Amino acid sequence: MPIKNIMVAVAGGAASIITAKYAIYLARVMSSKLTAVYVVNERLLQDLMRSRVVVDIEAKVYEKDLEEQGKLFLERIKKAAETKKIEFESMVLRGMVHEEIIKKAQETSTCLLVMGNPKEITSRKEVFSDEGELLFREAKCPVVIVKNPEEVEKLYKEIT
Amino acid sequence: MERISEYLQKDACLMDLKATTKEEAIRELSGHMARVGLVNDEQLFIHDLLEREKLGSTGIGHKVAIPHAPTQSVDGFVIGFARSSAGVDFASMDGDEVNLIFAMGTNPQALSLYLQLLSQLSKLLRNETFRNDLIHATKTPADVINLFKKFEKEG
Repeated sequence: MPIKNIMVAVAGGAASIITAKYAIYLARVMSSKLTAVYVVNERLLQDLMRSRVVVDIEAKVYEKDLEEQGKLFLERIKKAAETKKIEFESMVLRGMVHEEIIKKAQETSTCLLVMGNPKEITSRKEVFSDEGELLFREAKCPVVIVKNPEEVEKLYKEIT
Repeated sequence: MERISEYLQKDACLMDLKATTKEEAIRELSGHMARVGLVNDEQLFIHDLLEREKLGSTGIGHKVAIPHAPTQSVDGFVIGFARSSAGVDFASMDGDEVNLIFAMGTNPQALSLYLQLLSQLSKLLRNETFRNDLIHATKTPADVINLFKKFEKEG
């Protein structure tokens, strides 16, 4: 069965670039469409407001800044995808990270979800609260965890 | 999941804060963070933290304050800790003086990490035993880091 649609979940930062590069590589070799998603973690901001660490006006600024950063980051991935000549779209979502990605993956008939390597889990509680861990566990489609950045860079350079 | 213990450095812990007012405390802790190399522009860092305080006190109650702000005065994300035996008037929500102060700053590029760590810290500080141990059962910066590791592991 051909893998028509691949989704890559990115959070910004150097590790997400590697994740995106591997997703671009996969999309190219499998002739798939790639969708990149970035989620503004509204739940986190709500939690911070509830615990009174962050005030309302401050949360609104953070939310806007996160959205802008997400857009810029996705634009960077788009440029990379264009140079490798793959079909690409991107979207900024809002809400609880793993829930939004899983929902969008189902809506877009994603066959394969590509994500970065979740951090090492050191407590039982983290298994149920870490967004990366939850995404990996609760995704409805096969998931690829990207490791070995050097190998990813090599593969990415191989495709023209 | 990001953890405070991975970012809080021993030399960023001030175990005996002298200040008694909010502004003095922010200045003293910021100065310490600048001296150990965490803050590039001390005056800008102080300015940004004090500006944030104008929106409302970061004294969140239970003897804790978390002054924080995005700022161009640091590279990436930084955190410093100060403990005051006498207590600091931080205009806290519950009216109590503050004994535990965590100053956090982030370059705008590390905003997402900063928010995750701010959330982690506030969750840990909801634990009364953790707060009491920070106030009474830690003598050295190494004790502080180890306490974080212990409670992060316990979740």
